[in-house]
Amino acid sequence: MGVRPARVGAAVAAAAALTLTACTAGGSGGGAAGGGGSDDESPGQGGTLTVSTSFVVNSLDPGQVYEATGALAVHAMYDTLVTFEGSDVTTPVPLLAESWEVNEDATEFTFTLTDGAVFSDGSPVTAEDVVFSINRLHNLQGSPAVTVEGLAASSPSEGVVVVTSEQSNPNVPTILAMPAAGILNAEATEAEGGTAAEDAASADAATEFLNGASLGSGPYVLDSFDPASEIVLTANPEYWGETPGYQRIVISNVEAETQKLTMQRAEGDQIALDLSGRLLEDLPESVQVSASQDTFYFLTLHQDPAISEITSNPDFVRALRASIDYDGLAALFGDDALPAAGMVPTAFPGALPESEAQQQDLDAAADHLEASGITDPTVELMYPAITYRGVDLGTIATKIQFDAEQAGIAIVLDPQPIASFLEAQTGGEVPFRFSPQSLNYPVAASLVNNFAPGQASAQRTGWTEERASEEIIAAGEAVQSAPDAESQISAIQDWQRLLNEESPYVTLAYNSGVVAATETIANAEYSPAGWQVDLRAVAPQ
Amino acid sequence: MSTTAPPTRGNGTRSATQRLRVGGYALGAYLLRRLVITAVLLLGVTAVTFLLVQLVPGDSMTATLSEAALQDPEIVAAYRERWGLDEPLHVQYLVYLQNVLTGDLGVSQQTGRSVLGDLMTYVPATLEIALPAMLLSLLIGVAVGLYAAVRHGRAGDQVVRAGTLLGLSTPPFWLSLVVLYVFFFVLGVSPSGGRLSTYWVPPEQVTGVMSLDALLAGEPAMAWDAVQHAVLPVLVLTVLTVATLVRFVRSAMLEVLDQDYIRAARAKGLPGRTVLLSHVLRAGLVPVITVSGLAFAALLSGTVLVEQIFSWPGVGQYAYRAAAALDMPAILGVSLFVAVVYTVVNLIVDLLYGLIDPRIRLS
Repeated sequence: MGVRPARVGAAVAAAAALTLTACTAGGSGGGAAGGGGSDDESPGQGGTLTVSTSFVVNSLDPGQVYEATGALAVHAMYDTLVTFEGSDVTTPVPLLAESWEVNEDATEFTFTLTDGAVFSDGSPVTAEDVVFSINRLHNLQGSPAVTVEGLAASSPSEGVVVVTSEQSNPNVPTILAMPAAGILNAEATEAEGGTAAEDAASADAATEFLNGASLGSGPYVLDSFDPASEIVLTANPEYWGETPGYQRIVISNVEAETQKLTMQRAEGDQIALDLSGRLLEDLPESVQVSASQDTFYFLTLHQDPAISEITSNPDFVRALRASIDYDGLAALFGDDALPAAGMVPTAFPGALPESEAQQQDLDAAADHLEASGITDPTVELMYPAITYRGVDLGTIATKIQFDAEQAGIAIVLDPQPIASFLEAQTGGEVPFRFSPQSLNYPVAASLVNNFAPGQASAQRTGWTEERASEEIIAAGEAVQSAPDAESQISAIQDWQRLLNEESPYVTLAYNSGVVAATETIANAEYSPAGWQVDLRAVAPQ
Repeated sequence: MSTTAPPTRGNGTRSATQRLRVGGYALGAYLLRRLVITAVLLLGVTAVTFLLVQLVPGDSMTATLSEAALQDPEIVAAYRERWGLDEPLHVQYLVYLQNVLTGDLGVSQQTGRSVLGDLMTYVPATLEIALPAMLLSLLIGVAVGLYAAVRHGRAGDQVVRAGTLLGLSTPPFWLSLVVLYVFFFVLGVSPSGGRLSTYWVPPEQVTGVMSLDALLAGEPAMAWDAVQHAVLPVLVLTVLTVATLVRFVRSAMLEVLDQDYIRAARAKGLPGRTVLLSHVLRAGLVPVITVSGLAFAALLSGTVLVEQIFSWPGVGQYAYRAAAALDMPAILGVSLFVAVVYTVVNLIVDLLYGLIDPRIRLS
């Protein structure tokens, strides 16, 4: 044969060398540490901050935003009447409102606006803008509209906004601190097709514009938004408050595993938002980690006998509750998790003390199962087949299955795609399910509005007021009618203790939201308020 | 497609266009017929995709609205009205078709932007890594496949076969993480992901290919940065594609090497290189073209995992997001795109047959 194989091999080697040369040529890669940026920037010196997160975002229109990534960006672009500082969600602090007053039964809140606040186009923030924004949020009927259900805004005089609530609600300031309640430039929004009228759900056409440009008064403005790739914010030159820490913030859509590699190299000004559980191991000591337990994982057992004779049996629920190894289950989530004491995670006022954490008691489980009259029960556990905050829910479900088996309860696992799970859950006919849950806004009372007998989530579980005790109904009402935060906290603790006795919910564990940041960054604290980390406050060290 | 091998006439030096004639059909008529078939195919794709999405439990509303919002009848009604979900299914489909005919693929429920605009953003990004990967794969695949065929049964061939088996059985997700770990974390010679370092302000989109757009914007340093970001995804896609190509090339070349006319050529005393490059390679290329076309189409439409790991905002990632959210307009848009890709690639492959092998006629 006249062809020397070596020549063919040489061609292959050349091609491979070409690839590797290209690979190794990129010596300066790796994000903000790379250099070679634009002339007016010096990465790591207030130039560009890179925030890596696995995107959950549909819109950057405040009236439509409710997912984590959207809330993170919107919070940096839009001022709200009040806000929270750092990781504290107990005390709202002034932002656009310099002060506020509340009437005795917490149904009317009067906010006095600060002087000097301006939008990014330089026009002043007025009471009319605030009224427009709150009413638009309500009337758009988007996902966050539920948070302002029953609220109405008006302006009796210049610089004053009155927000009324149909029922007593001491948490109105907290609700108005949420990114969805960000204040828009009313005139500019209307010019782009926006409206706050009652028909806004069909008539408003500003969302598309707001996904490409911001109309707020916050420290950053929107430069570009690609839902699959990145959100780029730039410093607002007209900002009326303290100069923002960075010229640009790039929020990048990055998988958790890649985030970990990036943080392990710990170069430049980098923040990662999805390093929970085991992913936090082996990070360099220089990496700052801030965490807060703001999510709970729970089982739900349908209470309608027509759906399931087994799950609707109160003694069966008690047997299952006693069968779970709560400590072992929390350990699966990593160091930042705890066994659940009640429904409210420890990040929020109203959480039960750690000393009340639930315990496994297999003898009690056997007694309850005997009392139920059900022999050899078998139930199907539906859950979303996802990895949430670094933890595969299938692993947790398998542990639940194992624990229940120790008490003589057979569980068949039924993992579902997330969309299918949500559809089934909404349908309200799933006998037995498992899922994570966070709060609509950082007040424990929001759970009562959702999980108390007859409320939305309870309805889907067949837990009507007719099927609940008068005592637990009264406990929920006590939370909702509390005139101040302190009495509400006490009431919600009582409510949780009753839930642990007779509800269809078995709360398993609390897990943390985490912010990991390189050492060059200041104020990179995790906030359970919904925006994860306050990009308004983050700055170079 | 069917092939015929007519009697050889003259010296066999007719032009490609002349070769692409049979039974009075000119190339233009053939293309027109393929166009009609493609239109019917695309119609079928939209219908099947539409029906399949309906069969999946759940819809875009459950994936898009918050849990609390789903409990509010007013919010649910507003959403259904906004996206036309309150219409009967056949009306929804007919409205969609009517819009498609005017070039409107609808608005993505996930991104809130036109699906056509989304595709015009994400397809060039995928092309930026798929095209170099395909070219590299062809270069390496043909060379290595030919080498293995020539060294049939010997140590070199065994090594190549083991290598291709490894390449075929390597999960893209795992390989992506490994190369990231090695080149980014251990060696520090590569960016971690994305299309451009975050300190650059991206250039205005002209072609959609970041490196080209950076050059057009007069930013060679930015273009170089974009090239560096593309290297690892290209490397992974090449490894995953080249294994298939090597196996096909090897098989095709082995078959040709066993033909009588090759033995005759050798017997006539032709140099080995001439036999290999002029006779074996050309004859063996026909099946290789088929598999290359399919591999390229797969690269354009199926690089989901690689794009996920490298934070590469391409059409694969877009398809994944659309599927997870049951975003009907986006799913239909991606399906149409994939169908068009496969149709066009098949057409090009069929035309190339005629160019490469004068015995082949289109009918």
